[in-house]
Amino acid sequence: MTAEAPPVVAVDKSQDSAPPSGVRAWLSRHPLAAYAIRRVGLYFVELWGALTIAFFFFRLIPGDPVQTLIQTLQQNYMYNQQASTELIARYQQEFGLTGNMFSQYLKYMEKLVLHGDLGPSLINYPTPAQDVILRSLPWTIGLLGISAVLAWVLGVLLGAIAGWRRGKLGSAIATNLSIALSHVPYFFVALILVYIFAYSMGVLPARSAYDSNISPGISLEFIGSVLKYGLLPGLSIVIIGTFSWILSTRMLMVPVLGEDYLVYAEAKGLKGWRILTRYALRNCYLPQITAFGISLGFIFNGNVLVEQLFNYPGLGTTLVTAIQQLDFNTILGVTDIAIFSVLTAVLLLDLLLPLLDPRVKYWK
Amino acid sequence: MSDSVLEIKGLEVVYSTNRGDVKAVRGIDLDVRRGEILGIAGESGSGKSTLAVALLRLLKAPGKVTGGSVMFHPAGRSPVDLLKVHGEELRVLRWSALSYLPQGSMSSLNPVMRVHDQFKDVIVEHAPDRKEAVSDMIPRLLAQVGLEPRVARMYPHELSGGMKQRVLMAIAVALEPDLVIADEPTTALDVTIQRVILQSLADLRTDFGVTLMVISHDMGVHAQLADRVAVMYEGQLVEVGDVRQVFKDPQDAYTRQLIESIPKLGRRAS
Repeated sequence: MTAEAPPVVAVDKSQDSAPPSGVRAWLSRHPLAAYAIRRVGLYFVELWGALTIAFFFFRLIPGDPVQTLIQTLQQNYMYNQQASTELIARYQQEFGLTGNMFSQYLKYMEKLVLHGDLGPSLINYPTPAQDVILRSLPWTIGLLGISAVLAWVLGVLLGAIAGWRRGKLGSAIATNLSIALSHVPYFFVALILVYIFAYSMGVLPARSAYDSNISPGISLEFIGSVLKYGLLPGLSIVIIGTFSWILSTRMLMVPVLGEDYLVYAEAKGLKGWRILTRYALRNCYLPQITAFGISLGFIFNGNVLVEQLFNYPGLGTTLVTAIQQLDFNTILGVTDIAIFSVLTAVLLLDLLLPLLDPRVKYWK
Repeated sequence: MSDSVLEIKGLEVVYSTNRGDVKAVRGIDLDVRRGEILGIAGESGSGKSTLAVALLRLLKAPGKVTGGSVMFHPAGRSPVDLLKVHGEELRVLRWSALSYLPQGSMSSLNPVMRVHDQFKDVIVEHAPDRKEAVSDMIPRLLAQVGLEPRVARMYPHELSGGMKQRVLMAIAVALEPDLVIADEPTTALDVTIQRVILQSLADLRTDFGVTLMVISHDMGVHAQLADRVAVMYEGQLVEVGDVRQVFKDPQDAYTRQLIESIPKLGRRAS
């Protein structure tokens, strides 16, 4: 990281060779733009590849969603008649299950890319899957997004301090606590929190996302209720997330503390906090930014249980219901959302990194 | 006495190991006179760098000072024992009175800060009243060591070794400290750059009137730069004296060896 790069002599070829022309010359003169274009191109390839794999992967699940639907209809509406072959054919048409796998794939991609249509959902037939997902998405983004950002900020700051004060008692306690707690599953902490605050003390609600007596809308009462109901599930994610970020930040921090520029900063007589933030943390927090982007995907998957536990109307709960009902379109839709959000987050972070650290250079 | 910037008395530094303490500096008495360039010579492991970090109070565990006193007489401030100041008192003393010139090949510059900002933070920290003047000060300081103003906008990884060393020199004298301790300022630079750096160091003394303590294993550096030279061997001073006197008539056998180790043209290793 600190190895000295050989001095790079910038040779401007446009001066001594043939006069520049066309796209290539423009790109060679704007390396940052060339990099961005290449990176965005790669993003679309990744997106396409991941969506394709997800599509075929889910088609390998044994079972027939249409049969499941008929069964559900029979149960729910006491639909006692044997479904006619005609009806089944219509449903198969609607769910995009006609033709061979490849033509199904083409149809699916066409609808997804051109119309943003994921097909009808089973759990809420005939509501389209994207509507079912969009209904639960804000809850997940609100709960998990805020918790994840909070955990990252807290964890990186505390981890930096723990690394900075290594050898001291407080740092040792924080480090060991992090080692013990960083891999405890979210739902376990959630259960403990529920036991203490909801069951024993009875001060916080343990289920749902807001008080059902309050009608949803932009009102202080409703927002207060959402915050109150989100506190326990949010807290369980923040606590565990923070501990794992503390551990990894401390690990990145310690080698930087041995660098010459930290001794130099101390010799300069700068204030401790300034050395910590401007000299130590600024030189080691970059991997944490990338890790945050990647962690978004795990947050989507890993917090299914937290949402289930709190009966939170988020994406996780929707996903579990969809899996139980073999709702292809919704399961695939939730997966697509996770793929999209992780790839987009990593893309944005990749484009951001050269601005955060002058040593990061992707281009030649 | 009043012309001394630093009075070192009986300084002892040990490194604790699991096989007992290793004495790196064994009772050194040395005065640094105001305005002089004092060279500290000696081979690797003689304790000269340990002496430097101990004086700068940058000694890290397992090293520790076990004895002695270091009276520091900054101009316009009351004298202090450098070994007894702590925390805020020490921090305030740093750079404005006591500054440090590390080896340029070491990564002493923060890789993610522009040169400009690495000047600015130390100036603003110790001389907040000069905050407005910083933008004028930096090009002047850079010019003093033969660098163009545009260097201020660059990052350390865009500089060559010699340029880095000059930037460090300019930062070292930015607040006109009473004493600059330079640890191997020319090591790891090629010989032509070494010459230039030595010349700039000599110029800095003339221009800023700083007192310089130069640690180097290279007797050639002392011959060119220092007024007086102190020779260390196994943690002790074996000889201190005027540089010409020492070179002409070394009193100690070890000093003689060191002087003879300077390569001469026409004499080949066999």
